[in-house]
Amino acid sequence: MEIDRRAFIASLGGTAAVSLMESEAKADALEHWMEEQLDEQVAANQGQREKFPTVAEIEAQIETRNYRRGAGSLFVSGRGNVKKLTPMPKNPTLKDFFELRFAPANHVLQSATRAMKTGMSEEVILACLLHDCVLNLIKPDHGWWGAQLFEPYIPEKSTFAIRYHQTLRFYPDSDAGYEYPDQYFRIFGEDYKPPAHIEATYKMLKNHKWYMEPRLVTVNDLYAFDPNAKVSIDPFTDIIGRHFKQPKEGLGNDNSPSAHMWRTLANPDQPL
Amino acid sequence: MRKAVITASFTVCLVAIATGQTKPTNYKGLEITPLGIERAKNVALIDCPPGQNSVRGNARGEEEFVVVNAAFKVTPAFDAKTIVKKPVLTDSAGKTYNTSVSIIDAGSLPEYKCGFPFRVPLGTKVASISIDTATINIASLDK
Repeated sequence: MEIDRRAFIASLGGTAAVSLMESEAKADALEHWMEEQLDEQVAANQGQREKFPTVAEIEAQIETRNYRRGAGSLFVSGRGNVKKLTPMPKNPTLKDFFELRFAPANHVLQSATRAMKTGMSEEVILACLLHDCVLNLIKPDHGWWGAQLFEPYIPEKSTFAIRYHQTLRFYPDSDAGYEYPDQYFRIFGEDYKPPAHIEATYKMLKNHKWYMEPRLVTVNDLYAFDPNAKVSIDPFTDIIGRHFKQPKEGLGNDNSPSAHMWRTLANPDQPL
Repeated sequence: MRKAVITASFTVCLVAIATGQTKPTNYKGLEITPLGIERAKNVALIDCPPGQNSVRGNARGEEEFVVVNAAFKVTPAFDAKTIVKKPVLTDSAGKTYNTSVSIIDAGSLPEYKCGFPFRVPLGTKVASISIDTATINIASLDK
């Protein structure tokens, strides 16, 4: 089987992430990756549609793991043990968090890059850049958690877009260019129905004057899973400078309503 | 001047409709040739020119995707800064459909092929695809 070295390394989070892995973890990861590729090739050759799990099948997996699926990425290692983190600088900035805690952040950078290239507003570009960063802290309700994390520092429209992209991802909108992604069949189950509070939020959003802000985050979200994409935070320096109110004390030290969340991201090894 | 631009755009549109099908249509120096039409319930979501995005879109129930495949050739007349609008599909009854695929950096490669999925009711007959002022008749490709 031919190995696409770049795709494999990208699937693990890039060369920096791979360099931190132990040999055994690398071998396990390679074997797992090859199995997935083989399954995909066989299915494609046979013209088969991928079989997605049901909600019941996903629920049956809960007691097969020693962690909860909703734990933030900083707290669980999918492959081997977690590693010691580089300490944050004294007055950490958003860019420091991108480099030291959110890295490689490939998906959000791809998403924001697409928003920029398709001429979207700076508020939407910023929302795309930040929309999934909170997954490092916690995964359930990531739209609401993410909005809360950034709310003291960014424009109201960007906060709105981050909070509600989570809801709109469950509802296709061809006019806006959003289709239901098959990865949601995989992670929620093919027969998944959003809960009542998401349905109610969707009804509210449909008539909201800012509907397109979160909708555009979902549109870019779909197209930001290219393992070979080359992205960087540098093109967004000016937008961050114009719209992100960086506290001079540093994120986590500024006594904002979400400062504790930044401190947790900075120090995820604190026992209490 | 404005009248001339509108007339020119309208002429491009009419010429494209008249010549149709497999002949390339020139849009601001970008030659677009329709290659074929496919129908599917699950399609790759990849922008144009294509990258390696791994997400696929799904149509459920009484819907399907019509995927219009097209070839693009960048001629010297194409300004690389041009933002090319998303294609719009028109069915035989005149109803229009949008695609989620965007054309980004259209001048970044000399030639490329792209697929544009449009979610439509099952069995919808297609008539044409438009990119801004260029309209291309694709009814004969819908077999």
